[in-house]
Amino acid sequence: MKNKHIVIKHIGNFNSEIIDSILLSIKNLLVKDNYPLIIRKRVYNISVECLDNILKHSDIHTVSKKLYDDNPSSFILEKDDTAFYVKIGNIILNENIKNVDNKLKKINSLNLDGINELYKNSLQNGEISKKGGAGLGLIVMSKTTKEKILYSFDEINNKFSYFVMNLKIRIDN
Amino acid sequence: MKILNIEATLKSPKVIFDTENFIFEMQGNSRPENVRNFYYPILDALKRFYESALENNKLEQFSSKIFKYNFKLEYFNSSSAKFISDIILLIDNYNKKGFNNKIYWYFEDGDEDMIEVGEDFSEMINVPFNFIMIKK
Repeated sequence: MKNKHIVIKHIGNFNSEIIDSILLSIKNLLVKDNYPLIIRKRVYNISVECLDNILKHSDIHTVSKKLYDDNPSSFILEKDDTAFYVKIGNIILNENIKNVDNKLKKINSLNLDGINELYKNSLQNGEISKKGGAGLGLIVMSKTTKEKILYSFDEINNKFSYFVMNLKIRIDN
Repeated sequence: MKILNIEATLKSPKVIFDTENFIFEMQGNSRPENVRNFYYPILDALKRFYESALENNKLEQFSSKIFKYNFKLEYFNSSSAKFISDIILLIDNYNKKGFNNKIYWYFEDGDEDMIEVGEDFSEMINVPFNFIMIKK
């Protein structure tokens, strides 16, 4: 964990313009710092999937301003000598926790071959949801990072919780 | 005749479907705002072309020549991956009916993840792709 520092941090409102601007900043920083192509693409890829996740899957439509202000959506990209870290957070309906938890438990229980099989099966059998997600985002995160996905749900009240997910992209493998 | 000729944007790839020169090509990045609106017309155009060829007994004309499918993608998000796999499944489906489509999968030198996803797609239909490295 030497020299861990924040590369980009955005907390608050997310829309497609803000996401485009975050992604452009990430792209430029990675090119400027001369990272190998594969690292640049992995960090970009994970950032896109994470930002898409915040935009499409945050359960914030019925949330009061006060509750959102106390628990805003967040995207943080950090790095140290060995890896980049993407940490996202957003509000989730308690009734949706089980579904997300089951998906992540399944993904984290698989080895790389298992993840690749799940990816191929989901491509062939997954339907595109109304929000434009194919249920593939979490699988792609695991496939790209080749690491377990760390996550938690912290209860806010009897209706909502705050979902946090941590991804690690190794620089040294 | 170019049935499709879609210009690239920052978030969506250039797409060409040229039935006179037997070329389909996708090039660039794919994370369109509305992934369905972008990909459904492409899948529809491909399907219409093959169904019309079958209806008009043109299979012989098309099976004697290779139809090249060039995927020159730099980046695509997970929802786009679903539709790209649908295009590949469609191509394979019409190969089984006698067409001669071949898939050329381009990747940048050092982009092992792009090779891997190409291999995943290839295994999905059980047909080898032609992998082509782009040097920068």
